Amino acid sequence: MNRLVVSDIHAGYGAVRVLHGVSVEANQGETVVLLGTNGNGKSTLIKCIMGLIQPSSGQIFLEVDGRRIDLVGRSTEDIVNLGVTLVPEGRRLFPKLTVEENLLLGAYRPEARREIDRNLSACFETFPILQQRKRQLAGSMSGGEQQMLAVARALMSEPKILLVDEPSVGLAPILVSRVIATIKELKERHNLTVLMAEQNFNQATKIADRGYIIVHGKIEFEGRTTRELVENELVKKFYLGV
Amino acid sequence: MFSLDLLLNAIVAGILIGGFYAAVSLGISVSFGLLDIVNIAHPAFVILGSYTAYAMNRFFGFDPLLTGLLFTPVFYALGVVVYRLYYLGFERKGEESLRGLVFFFGVLFIVEVALLLAYGVDYRMIEARYVGQSFHIGVVGIAFRLLLPCLVGLMVTVALHLFLSKTFYGRAIKAVSQDSQALRLMGVDPVKIKRIAFALSIATASLAGALLILIGPVEPSIGREYIGRVFAIVVLGGMGSISGTLAASVILGVVESLTATFSGPSWAPAVSFGILLVVLAVRPAGLFGR
Ligand SMILES: Nc1ncnc2c1ncn2[C@@H]1O[C@H](COP(=O)(O)OP(=O)(O)OP(=O)(O)O)[C@@H](O)[C@H]1O
Ligand SMILES: [Mg+2]
Repeated sequence: MNRLVVSDIHAGYGAVRVLHGVSVEANQGETVVLLGTNGNGKSTLIKCIMGLIQPSSGQIFLEVDGRRIDLVGRSTEDIVNLGVTLVPEGRRLFPKLTVEENLLLGAYRPEARREIDRNLSACFETFPILQQRKRQLAGSMSGGEQQMLAVARALMSEPKILLVDEPSVGLAPILVSRVIATIKELKERHNLTVLMAEQNFNQATKIADRGYIIVHGKIEFEGRTTRELVENELVKKFYLGV
Repeated sequence: MFSLDLLLNAIVAGILIGGFYAAVSLGISVSFGLLDIVNIAHPAFVILGSYTAYAMNRFFGFDPLLTGLLFTPVFYALGVVVYRLYYLGFERKGEESLRGLVFFFGVLFIVEVALLLAYGVDYRMIEARYVGQSFHIGVVGIAFRLLLPCLVGLMVTVALHLFLSKTFYGRAIKAVSQDSQALRLMGVDPVKIKRIAFALSIATASLAGALLILIGPVEPSIGREYIGRVFAIVVLGGMGSISGTLAASVILGVVESLTATFSGPSWAPAVSFGILLVVLAVRPAGLFGR
């Protein structure tokens, strides 16, 4: 049992306050989507979870088999070692390393090293292009291939909880549906808990079990089902332009 | 003037000295190319390695190669300390570029002055049975004082190459300057990675120093002769490329040796700067730069 809980988080960058009391959670096996347009604080929330920025107040914790593990105050490395992995915004690959080297770096944490062969073949099976291009420099791959590599690299870390920050950015529509569908497939195969930030409402709701809408650093709506999200007035206003 | 014997001997001597140049340059290739640390004090650590080999030889009769190996952990530890100071003083505050350069200039200066005070300006050399010996293959003479440093240089190159390409630490070292925050997202502490890599570079410097005093006598400021040469090699090889550093070392060694043989030794130092300028103009990424 793995559960991620974010409770009443306030955070920002110096004097710029971005999050004002945000609470979200993702339960074992769920795909939870965090919807919001540009600049509403999606990435900021994800950075708080990963320990890349420290919230000024609030709690973030994991529940692993009934045990509570607080994340606030831990280093990013510690958090990754607990089994929380991020596919970051903008992919953040190592452009001058090969595809294979990028994947192997994903498996740095001790628990992942033991599973390295199995995970590598699983990645190559899901993304055959990565196997064909394993000696190519990551920076010379196309945008779509890079996004697949970013997802595959995250899976190499044998995560329990996978955070994904806007996988659709910069991709052609056909690739967006492919990447999103792959995330769903991987989630099921690896029994992951997924929290995904997205702007692409139509694609995100295809795979989400439920979700939140974040506006100006506050959760304005919580949809307990995808249907609730789709039918919500805020969604119509912000996304469907009704 | 020109003869085939002379040519062959010059080429072989150049290759041998090239292997030694690789040992001196690898550490700089790592710190400049992979860590973005402008360690211009690298030659000072080489000289420190030479004097360690000298002292151990003089007082305990140790072979310089043995000293070189035995002291790598000591210099590794010294590298840890120097990186710690650099990190706390500059890197952590994001002031690494210009102030970092000043820091390493200071280190260079301190080491040089300390050696001057301890040993004076005289040239020092070591004693070992094999230093004056050589053997012949056909017309080509091979001196042990050049052959051994070349072999050790090659071994260090191979070891470093394997370490960087086959281990988790190695891959993290290659990634750290590209995106250190992304590296943290892989569960890697970038500061620890840089500490390990920097300390390793200092350990290779000390080993290169033991080789240097095997090749010929040293004095405290001899490192300056190497600065231009080492930069030419590192740039030609493509910063951070280990195989490129080796290739560039051998190229420079051979070109220098040919120049010294056929145009006179006083031209040899000009070779490295000539190569440096041409490479910067024609192919700034170097021969093997990614
Ligand atoms: N490093 C930073 N320093 C100062 N302000 C920042 C920083 N990063 C983000 N912000 C601000 O915080 C707010 C929220 O940004 P955030 O990146 O969390 O938005 P987002 O929802 O992820 O948007 P997008 O969809 O464009 O990625 C924005 O107003 C942004 O300008
Ligand atoms: Mg964002």
